[in-house]
Amino acid sequence: MEGKKLYALTVRNIKCYFKDKFLFFVSLITPMTLLVLFVTFLRSVYIDSFNGIFESFGFYAEERLVNGLAGSWLLSSVVSVCAVTVAVCSNAVMIQDKIDGSVNDIKISPVKGTTLSLSYFIANFAVTLIVILAVLVVGFAYLAIVGWYIPFTDVLLIVADTLCCVLFGALVAGVIESFISTQGALSAVSTLVSGMYGFICGAYMPMSQFPDGMRNFLCVLPGTYGVGMLRKHFMQGYVQELGRLGLSEQGQKALQDSFDGNIYVGKTQMPLWSMYVILLGTCAVLLAVYIAIVVLKNKKHIPKKQ
Amino acid sequence: MTAGTNQNSNDRTDAPFIKITDLHKSFKGVKAVDGLSFTVKKGELFAFLGVNGAGKSTTINIISGILPKDGGTVIVCGADPDVKAESVKSKIGIVFQSSVLDKHLSVYDNLKYRAALYGIIGEQFKRRLDELDQLLDLKEILKRPLCKLSGGQRRRADIARALVHNPELLVLDEPTTGLDPQTRQAVWNVIENLRATRGLTVFLTTHYMEEAANADYVLILDSGKKVAEGTPHELKTAYATDTVRIYSHIEEAVALFSSLGYVVKRERDYADIEVSDMFAATQLILRYPELFDDYEVLKGNMDSVFLRVTGNKIMEVR
Repeated sequence: MEGKKLYALTVRNIKCYFKDKFLFFVSLITPMTLLVLFVTFLRSVYIDSFNGIFESFGFYAEERLVNGLAGSWLLSSVVSVCAVTVAVCSNAVMIQDKIDGSVNDIKISPVKGTTLSLSYFIANFAVTLIVILAVLVVGFAYLAIVGWYIPFTDVLLIVADTLCCVLFGALVAGVIESFISTQGALSAVSTLVSGMYGFICGAYMPMSQFPDGMRNFLCVLPGTYGVGMLRKHFMQGYVQELGRLGLSEQGQKALQDSFDGNIYVGKTQMPLWSMYVILLGTCAVLLAVYIAIVVLKNKKHIPKKQ
Repeated sequence: MTAGTNQNSNDRTDAPFIKITDLHKSFKGVKAVDGLSFTVKKGELFAFLGVNGAGKSTTINIISGILPKDGGTVIVCGADPDVKAESVKSKIGIVFQSSVLDKHLSVYDNLKYRAALYGIIGEQFKRRLDELDQLLDLKEILKRPLCKLSGGQRRRADIARALVHNPELLVLDEPTTGLDPQTRQAVWNVIENLRATRGLTVFLTTHYMEEAANADYVLILDSGKKVAEGTPHELKTAYATDTVRIYSHIEEAVALFSSLGYVVKRERDYADIEVSDMFAATQLILRYPELFDDYEVLKGNMDSVFLRVTGNKIMEVR
């Protein structure tokens, strides 16, 4: 019975998000900003940088390959940023319920508080995944037009990376927003996350171009490894094709180092498996924290006087 | 300060639907409910009155299992909401002061997802929706999002939601505030119909005293404490002042009764003379029959009861 209630609440939460056009629009601000920046100048900045690296290794890359590489870099940025920003915004359904009193209407029904909290989390995960998968499909279609060099296995790995990042984003949103119950606080958190996360995950410019201190700080943030995984799998096919066409191994490494295809902690290059361990380990910790918050919030107060 | 309290309290012990004894609830040291005791009998319309902040909503939240109590005992439909929350919740429907349904979802979706929380799904939900449609005429608004409905239509949706699981107790938290008179009447017709046909127990809070006047029993709350209770008639007898309205010999009557110390209000076509009760009014008329060619005696209403019970306290404090 509780499963049916969970299903009903989850579907209700998802519908509430998609039917609220304003909320839907706000959560897409960051990816749209990235797209506008890409169309206006980031694309040419990326292409100039790629060509600069190629020239330094005496290599000339065909236009289709460079365009595809720029597009895939953008898409990896959009996916990694959206995983957190969309999650933070879509979780607003939970806060909106507190603000307008809908949560009381749900609480007067015979549904467990833990079921309600779980429904918010599942709905948030589902909404974020739906939005990002839609972005991925459109992005892949774009890459197919400008230059597709991503092998099928990497496509599967990108989807797996996306799932990890969405899980991370949904848990971050769940933990942070458990403490929010006002519109002002929600706006502040959404704005802060939407504005800052793009920079700190290197969506606008590669982390490799940040100063050492900043780069070391970013290595402490688990989200960095989610970005690293996506960058790796988005770029890998293009780098292999460049190698096949004659770009030296140093050239391939320089390209990946410059555009976060490789993540370094100090001077040590992080292996891919360690990125999964860090990100999924963080998810496990966040999940434990989230469960603790839910249990504590739903615990009945012991009557002081009988 | 209760109207016939002892007599009534004793009478009201049989088959209580809600029984609250010495209820206490505080928020950060501020007492919201302070030693409240009352009973609600099955099938009655119970009016729970008080100024804003008197503790009405807190009491409702405790009854419905949203808030835990600090002390006292609360029994609703034979169970303590703190102990058997699910059992109590499945028997209570609440119409909140302002609509708390999802404004971007259609009325159908709102009812469907809320009904599912009571295990009402599939064919069972369709049958229940048909019943609610017959009761509340929902067809025209079912597919429309809540945010596109008028105040009256939205209230119908709220009542449908509160009744979706066929509750035994309907809590109405200021259900008609902000509604036009026609819609208010329509809402009350539905409630009366439910009481007549299903014996629904109704727990009402309202700021409209004429609605409270139709209740079977009234309790007035102030600063979390009970300040008066009784049937509307008992309360009016105990607290309301009656008025003799005189339409003839106005000038003479005003001069005479003012000099005798009565509270007299002169209006354009009449004068109102305040008297303590019907007996005093009769005495006055018999003593000065020459002044009473054209007059009427107005019984004190629930407005004056409420103002006297809650207002006196304010005046005492001042």
